[in-house]
Amino acid sequence: MRKNLLLTTLLVFSLLSCKVIWVPDYNAKLEDQITKSAKANDKLYIDMLDAAPGKRDYDLYKEKYNDIEADINAIQLANEARNNNASFIVINKNLKDAFQEAKKYHKENKTLSDGEIKSYQATLAGFWKPLFLAERGLKINSK
Amino acid sequence: MKFDIDETMAQMLEAMKGVAKENWKTIKGNANGFLQQRKGRLELLTSLRIANEIKEEFYVKRLKDEKKILESELHSIAIVSKSIAQKAANAAIEVLQDTVSKMIRI
Repeated sequence: MRKNLLLTTLLVFSLLSCKVIWVPDYNAKLEDQITKSAKANDKLYIDMLDAAPGKRDYDLYKEKYNDIEADINAIQLANEARNNNASFIVINKNLKDAFQEAKKYHKENKTLSDGEIKSYQATLAGFWKPLFLAERGLKINSK
Repeated sequence: MKFDIDETMAQMLEAMKGVAKENWKTIKGNANGFLQQRKGRLELLTSLRIANEIKEEFYVKRLKDEKKILESELHSIAIVSKSIAQKAANAAIEVLQDTVSKMIRI
């Protein structure tokens, strides 16, 4: 009898504290950081496209590239520190790999043509969007 | 290398539906946004290649990037779907908790 009462009490208490957690908590600062970094990435290519072909040398954009890469690394670090982060890690890795490839291509070729700039601008925007929408999708649980 | 954009889009839409399952109606907006962006991107890349503004090797690399972008999009949809499911599950648990609490008080 006493054992049954104890088990019932435990069951009730565990039920009362029950909550499912399948995704990380929404992080407003991270969403803001993703928006700003995606904008900086877009602006890098807008500025480049605006510059005359002779003024597109990698060295002129090196600092901007490094700033954006550091932003991507910071976002990755924040995602690595969260629970239930497996999908975020994949999205982050794909973005980082694509950005590093674009940076390496520019560095090795010294300059970029209009077509290459437009291609990278569109492709990298495609890598940023899933990261932004995933973070914003977490907002539903913060209400 | 020739691309059937509409066929590719239809296949991608099916893949997204498969990941979203019962949450499809809710995340349809995000998925359509992804698909529209992809369509614009594929049209841009193809037009740049046809105009010889990018080389074949560069074009093929960008098409390979699309596979990785799709992978990211599917993960993004999975996160949003789980987020919706989590909210629904916790709302259901809350109802159960309230009922149990009331019974205990009785």
